[in-house]
Amino acid sequence: MLLHHLRVIPHLVRMHVRSQMEYRGAFWLDRLAQVLSYGSVFATIGILLARFQTLGGWTWPELALLFSFQLLAYSLGAAMSFVQLRDLEELVRLGTYDTLLVKPFSPWAYLVFSGLNIGYAGHIILAVPLLGWAVLSVDFAWSASSVAFLLAAIVSATLLTGAMITMIGATALMWVRSNHLFSIFFGFWELTRYPLNIFPGSIQITLITAVPLALTSSVPVGALLGKPIPILGDWAGPVALVAGPVWVLLAMAHWRYATRKYQGAGG
Amino acid sequence: MNAYLAFTRSAFHAQLAYRNEVWANIFGKLVQVVARVAIWLAVYAGAGATVVDGVSLQQMVTYALLGGAVMGATRPERIIGEIGRSLKTGDIAVWLLKPLSYPLYLFANECGSFSYRLTTQVIPTVAFTALFYGMLAPASLFHGLMFVAFWALSFVLIFLMSALFGLIAFWLMTSFSLDWILGALLHLFSGVLVPFWFFPEPLATIARHLPFAWVVYYPNAVYLGRLSVADTWLHLGLGLGWAGLFLSGVLWLWRMASRRITVQGG
Repeated sequence: MLLHHLRVIPHLVRMHVRSQMEYRGAFWLDRLAQVLSYGSVFATIGILLARFQTLGGWTWPELALLFSFQLLAYSLGAAMSFVQLRDLEELVRLGTYDTLLVKPFSPWAYLVFSGLNIGYAGHIILAVPLLGWAVLSVDFAWSASSVAFLLAAIVSATLLTGAMITMIGATALMWVRSNHLFSIFFGFWELTRYPLNIFPGSIQITLITAVPLALTSSVPVGALLGKPIPILGDWAGPVALVAGPVWVLLAMAHWRYATRKYQGAGG
Repeated sequence: MNAYLAFTRSAFHAQLAYRNEVWANIFGKLVQVVARVAIWLAVYAGAGATVVDGVSLQQMVTYALLGGAVMGATRPERIIGEIGRSLKTGDIAVWLLKPLSYPLYLFANECGSFSYRLTTQVIPTVAFTALFYGMLAPASLFHGLMFVAFWALSFVLIFLMSALFGLIAFWLMTSFSLDWILGALLHLFSGVLVPFWFFPEPLATIARHLPFAWVVYYPNAVYLGRLSVADTWLHLGLGLGWAGLFLSGVLWLWRMASRRITVQGG
């Protein structure tokens, strides 16, 4: 079964990439627009820092590291999940999800890989050079272990992002509509460009537990740079590393549960 | 006229249909407003001052809360998305057959969505957060009344800018990038997060002259009394000038666009 999946997945990805690249001009214009959009967000934070020097005790290069890390981890996780799982609601509503259930293939794997979103290239084109600049600019003595931590934290944050989006999407199997939960997700996600310590306690707790997006940004980056992390303290580093795999297990359990509850909504 | 009022009413009611979404959106808006205030509390704490460049922390908190009110009820991406969708599905062609104006329909529709978001999300969240953080009253009765006029102008301007960007999709055949580009310009140059008095020169001077400034910066600056009476009238006039310019742009683009409709959908 696994071998069968592994053989089919590259075909699914190739077909979708070809369809996305059909209008090359439009594709790259869209990516440029995304670079401009996140670039403007980053420039606004830069303007704020140029006037005030620090935000919650973080300097400009430290915030650049935080912003680029957050954007990179999100785009890698979301490429594997967001549009695919957001569209699941519509598949359930129209009844087309039923056709995935009768395929000799995992519905989750089919959804994710047949819709693998290379559109996140714009995010990555902005995030990677910025991450490189920030790594060289922060006042921090890099070592092999800190570099390894940074890479492992990106992997964990990617997994956590994908797991959360999967859970929100899978909820549509039970409720038919689940996309409003993405409003809450993105409401919190925008906060994770900033250090956790600037927010009120209730938001800090939410960002570590129920909507644990701080674990994909300021918690790992803060732990790396030796910043004080609210609530987690010295546990910040280990928690950020295990969060991804743990939430993947939770997402798998949720997906199975939601699939069992699925009754179909289409005509 | 009745037809357009019906579009406004139906846009309002259509959004009320899903209660869970109402709550999710209120929650999302609340988090956003709290975050904006938190950012200002943190930067002022970092600067170790309660007044920076003649602006008090309480004024900045008020600015952040108002920013949510002014900008929060209009969603440019929905207007651009609506035009993009009509273009993709071919529905746009149907508008040429109806004795109605498509740009006016879009405006009526946005008025309905605006009223819905204003009453269910923006006013409750701003009022709720104002109770916690405190919000200054308008600098004077004149500034308060003028803020309402600037707010209405801001709504019209965002609508016209979004419609203009949306109509460009007729030539690009995609609305995705237009939505992101307008979003980028508004984020940086409307003053929604950082007001121009904290911008470095000459960026501040450039930003003050761009039309995006009338979306958030000028309404808020008027409320806080940072513009004299004469300057307030002058800027209202300039803003109306921008609105007139964008309106002619929208009408001209729609005329050009309706001549080159290529129906692909339906």
